[in-house]
Amino acid sequence: MKTRARLPRLVATGATLALALSLSACGDGDGGASGDDGKIHVLVYGDATNKVEKQLVDTFNKTSDVKVVLDTIPGADYQQKLQTIINTPQAPDVFFNWGGGSIKPFVKAGLLLPLDDFIKKNPDLENKFLPSVFNNAVVDGKPYGVPMRGTQPVLLFHNKKVLDEAGVEPPKTWDELLDAVGKLKDEGVTPIALGGGDVWPTQMWFQYLYDRIAGPELFQKALGGDKSAWESPDSKKALDMIRELVDTGAFGKNYDSVKYTNGGSVQLVAAGKAGFELMGSWYYSQQLTDHPEFAEKDLGYTAFPAVEGGKGDQANVAGNTNNYYSVMKKTKHPEAVAEFLKLMYSDQFVKAQMDIGNLPTTTNTDKFIETSGTPEYSRFQYDLVADAPSFQLSWDQAYPQKASSDMHKAVQQFFNGQLDTDGFIKAMQALPTE
Amino acid sequence: MRRRPNYLAGAGSLLWLFLVGLPLYVMLAATLRTRQDYAENGPVSLPDSFTLDNYTRAFDSGFGQYFFNTLVVTACVIGIVLLLVPPLAYAIVRSRGRTTSAIFRLFLLGLAIPAQAVIVPMFYLISEAGLYDNLLGVILPTAAFCLPMSALILSGAMRDISPELYEAMAMDGATPRRMFFQLVVPLSRGGLSTIVVFSALQAWNGFLFPLVLTQSDSTKVVTLGLYNFQTAHGIDIPGLLGAVVLSMVPILLVYLFARRALVQGLMGVGGK
Amino acid sequence: MTTQITSARPASSATTVGRPGFAWALPAALFFALFAIVPLIMVAVLSFMSWDGISPPRFTGTDNWSRLLDDPVMLKSIWLTLLLTALGVLLQTPLSIVLGVWAAGHQRNRAVLSVIYFIPLLLSATAVSVLWRALLDPNFGIPADAAWLFGDGNLFGEQATAIGVLAFVSTWQFTPFHTLIYQGAARAIPQVLYQAAEIDGAGRYRQFFHITLPQLRNAMITSMILMIVGGLTTFETVLILTQGGPGTDTTISAYYMYDKAFKGFDYGTGSAIALALVVASTIISLIVVRVSGYDKMRGSAEGVS
Repeated sequence: MKTRARLPRLVATGATLALALSLSACGDGDGGASGDDGKIHVLVYGDATNKVEKQLVDTFNKTSDVKVVLDTIPGADYQQKLQTIINTPQAPDVFFNWGGGSIKPFVKAGLLLPLDDFIKKNPDLENKFLPSVFNNAVVDGKPYGVPMRGTQPVLLFHNKKVLDEAGVEPPKTWDELLDAVGKLKDEGVTPIALGGGDVWPTQMWFQYLYDRIAGPELFQKALGGDKSAWESPDSKKALDMIRELVDTGAFGKNYDSVKYTNGGSVQLVAAGKAGFELMGSWYYSQQLTDHPEFAEKDLGYTAFPAVEGGKGDQANVAGNTNNYYSVMKKTKHPEAVAEFLKLMYSDQFVKAQMDIGNLPTTTNTDKFIETSGTPEYSRFQYDLVADAPSFQLSWDQAYPQKASSDMHKAVQQFFNGQLDTDGFIKAMQALPTE
Repeated sequence: MRRRPNYLAGAGSLLWLFLVGLPLYVMLAATLRTRQDYAENGPVSLPDSFTLDNYTRAFDSGFGQYFFNTLVVTACVIGIVLLLVPPLAYAIVRSRGRTTSAIFRLFLLGLAIPAQAVIVPMFYLISEAGLYDNLLGVILPTAAFCLPMSALILSGAMRDISPELYEAMAMDGATPRRMFFQLVVPLSRGGLSTIVVFSALQAWNGFLFPLVLTQSDSTKVVTLGLYNFQTAHGIDIPGLLGAVVLSMVPILLVYLFARRALVQGLMGVGGK
Repeated sequence: MTTQITSARPASSATTVGRPGFAWALPAALFFALFAIVPLIMVAVLSFMSWDGISPPRFTGTDNWSRLLDDPVMLKSIWLTLLLTALGVLLQTPLSIVLGVWAAGHQRNRAVLSVIYFIPLLLSATAVSVLWRALLDPNFGIPADAAWLFGDGNLFGEQATAIGVLAFVSTWQFTPFHTLIYQGAARAIPQVLYQAAEIDGAGRYRQFFHITLPQLRNAMITSMILMIVGGLTTFETVLILTQGGPGTDTTISAYYMYDKAFKGFDYGTGSAIALALVVASTIISLIVVRVSGYDKMRGSAEGVS
């Protein structure tokens, strides 16, 4: 009686298994990235900009014999995933990266194709991009990456209404900032919103202060392996200033529980509960999406304030210079790849990027700024980057990937007082530089 | 028999209802509000708008394909578990041999192995076998890690089958095989349902294996799709939660169907 | 008469014929060995090597291990792991028992509520963590409205509260599972025991402590083993909720392993931590099982009929 009921069930299970196996076999045919299937695999960071990347791939595939397949990996795990597969048959032909330290280990392991041959054949591949940006993908004198998205300098954003009510002008110097903080505190708002829960927003403060006080050379020295850079008086001065800022209550008390990535700090500014936020240029479009009324009327932006007596050029910029496509040495279709890379300075590319709020770093970008969705903002950004003598790459991208976790820990612990100046210095000195 | 209402238990369950109900309400409410409404007013406020956009956004980003993939993975994992575990549990409960005892210990110890500990060698195993970026490469490890718990649950359920029934069948000259199909399997339906639900849960919500062992969009599962919603620059909590709710519905249905059997099945685990 | 004679002899034939051999357990064992044991062995080997995923692995002997023993974060992580596990057991056990016994009752409303209580278990760790992180935002979530309870709302910025949140979220998600175990076990308690106690004049609470709890013994052992092992290997919640922070204040061993291996690209050290974790939870499981006599599978129905 019950046995009869059992049999059909087992059969059904078996059938499902067989069906699934055959389906998986189908999946193997077109899904796999392994081996040479006559296509170029381009791997990118998974986020809203993929729209543009897909567009370009479609355009390319219309006229190319060798087709491009776009693979995406969810942002948070992009670097882990890439490192796992880079030395296996699953590695892509072309992949997205942040230049600097994110590709140095790969260069050292001999995995990347130097692009100077491509550039010899097609000089545009280099000179159509802003130099400060292009140079960030140069390792040991050879170019390894082509910029493929927009530049993301870090700017100081503010809520105009909140500042007006406190009688504060957007600060141009550090002292003005401290003054503004004091006035905002008196008004009962959190002077500066900070997504401490994500840690990388906290890091941005270090990036700028170090650059303003000591110039980019200090960081470059440290990156080159000179540990004494961290102990220098300039370094200690920067740390003291940060400590001073935190201790005045500029960031409030609960910033470590606030995240940028779930909209927490964004909302603070938009709702008028905070005056400032230091964030990458994508902040503007984020506010436009989440809080359009606020963004259109009251969102203001300035460059990071100048620090009096600082050695760094006050026009320097910090942030993500851009993202790059690098090419694997073992790619089987280098000519097709070179053709594909040409699209990265095409007019189509520039227009598509600007439509979604990114600011490309090509020389023809200038033409399109007036027609972009946010002309004033784009103009401000573009001029800032074009005029910047130096563009400091985010620290966690400049250092090799494997240092980022410990770097973040040190940053967070210094801010909330668990590490003092010496502790921070030691932690930074312990970071691997290659 | 007098039954005074149990105020303490009642109060306790009310508190728990609040603790469970509030987040679930927030989640559902968030999916029915516009992004602006959620961003302006925060998660706990009463909704100011109504929209089904969050769900359509979820589908637009490819959730149809992800659902299908997850369905395939879940079905296959259940299949493998149903194929391998009942004979295993039967042996554990009935066999007197030392090998079987050792095998049981092996599985008990297997409970202690976290999936993320073996993920790197797993990647190489799967990749060498040519199963990278293939649903089968996700199915096999996921099923393997369901085995210890399923063995524990099912052997617990089978323990309840009284020895006299076996003896009665033995007197009729039944082989172990007959006893398995005619006695053990029908009587452990509760346990079987439990391991089905358990394995289904593992497969449906599995994250680590798909993350490391798949790459292209055509093999993405729902959990990865959810992860896609979270990027550094694009914050879309209502959309994310919409996808979460969608991903929860199938498994909720399975649970609703199997509920009674589920309780019966876990009865055996607790032992009588 | 003849029948009785045959059954009087505990038929040696019945003992040997009726039982399955180990061949029944073999397929599952082999499958498991291939996908769980073999990688585990590889992890053990890897723990004695140094590898970053790009260049080939190098044998370095006990380097990783000795460095780990000196690493304050590692020692902290062991302490944190034990703390969180203990918290989990302490929180979830009484809660699950009470809820399980309650749910075992046959009232209609209990069945409906049980469905609602079960839903947290159906959600993935990502969903649960994202949900709670949003709910606990200090400025716009619950803490903003309930400052009397949450103070300045800096739940994720202080170690004590961060640990509390982790323990709470785990409890929230996994209590339904243990409730189910206890519910099943409670349903199985023979009513005669309660009836006998009533006749003897025992009140509700005495009945609970002297009948219900002892009868739930096997369930408690199962549940606790699962809780302990689960606690030792908790990972996704920490990954998504606190990322081991603030600083390293919630970096449990399982998370530290992930941090070393996948963020620091130091697979050797990560493997060492993984191996240590597996060994530790194995030993603990063995102890619990041995002490409770679980593997002999005693029933708790003695003396009933």
